[in-house]
Amino acid sequence: MFSLLGGIFLGWSLGANDASNVFGTAVASKMLKFRTAALLASVFVILGALISGQAGIDTLSGLTRIDLEQAIISSVAAGLAVTFMTLLRLPVSTSQAVVGGIVGIGIINKQVNLGGLGKVMICWIGTPIGAMVLALFLYRLLGLIYNRLNLNMFKSDIVLRLCLIITGSYGAYALGANNVANVTAVFVGAGLLNVFSAAMIGGASIALGILTFSRPVMETVGEKLVKLDPFSALVVVLSLSVTMHIYTLVGVPVSSSQAVVGGVLGVGIVKGVNTVKAKTLLHILLGWLFTPVVSCLLALAIYFAVHLQYIPSG
Amino acid sequence: MLKYLFKKESQVETLLYEYLEAFKMTQENFVNALNSCLLNGYLCKNFDFHIRQTHKYESKADDIREEINNLMYGKALIPESRGDVMELLEAIDSIPHIFEQTLYMIQLQKIITPEFMIDDLRELVRISLECCDLMLQQVVALLEKQTDIRSLMRKIDTNESHCDHYERKIKTKIFNSDIDPFERLQLKELVEEIGHISDKADRVSKLINIFSLKRRV
Repeated sequence: MFSLLGGIFLGWSLGANDASNVFGTAVASKMLKFRTAALLASVFVILGALISGQAGIDTLSGLTRIDLEQAIISSVAAGLAVTFMTLLRLPVSTSQAVVGGIVGIGIINKQVNLGGLGKVMICWIGTPIGAMVLALFLYRLLGLIYNRLNLNMFKSDIVLRLCLIITGSYGAYALGANNVANVTAVFVGAGLLNVFSAAMIGGASIALGILTFSRPVMETVGEKLVKLDPFSALVVVLSLSVTMHIYTLVGVPVSSSQAVVGGVLGVGIVKGVNTVKAKTLLHILLGWLFTPVVSCLLALAIYFAVHLQYIPSG
Repeated sequence: MLKYLFKKESQVETLLYEYLEAFKMTQENFVNALNSCLLNGYLCKNFDFHIRQTHKYESKADDIREEINNLMYGKALIPESRGDVMELLEAIDSIPHIFEQTLYMIQLQKIITPEFMIDDLRELVRISLECCDLMLQQVVALLEKQTDIRSLMRKIDTNESHCDHYERKIKTKIFNSDIDPFERLQLKELVEEIGHISDKADRVSKLINIFSLKRRV
């Protein structure tokens, strides 16, 4: 159990940070109480992890052969990379950090599943682009339906609020299904957990992060989406959720934060406005490039530090 | 089920209709007061009573507005709609205030309408109040079916131009007349105050049009 602590910590921080992408809009704008949002997010994250989390766990645990000590090292490296990038104020993806850590261990073992790694990297590129394209399509389609309904002020209000709750819950499901692999897949690879218990523990630790520490993040990070009108925010959350669900079916953990940025960009293109500043995009690109590299280097450094031996001379 | 889940929204909706009702009553008493005194000669029958009634319904409208604002601060509706409802009420609420102020002006300054301006003033009041009626229809359209908002806005805009025309016409007559200069200023002020009704209704109408457009994707 003690050896799982690194993974649980990673899950906790993932829950605390990424829940804001799905429920931040609703909570920051007071459309939904934090308690209700946290409860819904926690339940759906666990459901997502249990029902659809297996594919991602299989992909990550198949990236390299790993033993328990290496599993812990890759977890710690990912956790430190996330912390380091956060301190540098660069947007960070837990999924990329975890894969970076695993690849670091793979390099030590001289055994990296390049096919699997290629698939993961293509999905990373595809996440923001996919979310952007989806947001473009969904904005047009849902906009057509919304205009046809010709709802009055109150009905429109109720419909938007209900849709945000439903898509938020769906987003939490997709988040749990997609990101649970980041938390416990290495322990499946090391033979410490089976897939079901990995999904259960991973889902529960993400839910713990949501329940205990997501409030400030939801209230502050959510504000970046609140600047969008409610309909656009709904489209962004829906495109994020569908994107993450698709990558869950493919079996690759991706970043919900990158999917959000893609969605916001998509909405901006439809509306003909700049929703994301060039500086933010540059930061995202830097984070995208550096997170897996830093995590990989940290895994290598920790491994070497752990195996340093004092050899007395003479 | 939905009514239970969105209890605050349902309350706001009910209160908005109550507010519109109070507005209509204020308007009705304002017209009665003007008819009893200003437009029908100097009889001023029941004038004070109608002023009290106007004030009563104006205060009632204020109370309802306050109640709606409290619900808004209690997080009814989504933030965007919250802001829209409060801005809309603030804009509408300036009109009952003008009704009340006009009557107080007549009462306090003991204004007597000269014969030469009665017909034009009656026309100005009629068109101004028609603007208010159209504006109320527009508010209901925003709350119910979101249709006809633009056509109502155009009608109000046309009426507002007519009001401006009458306002200028009456003012010209006032300053061409040989009445006491102080009285001229009093009458000018009165005509301007009545002229504000259609201006405010036009402003509300344009706001409603924006709120309606904001709800299109």
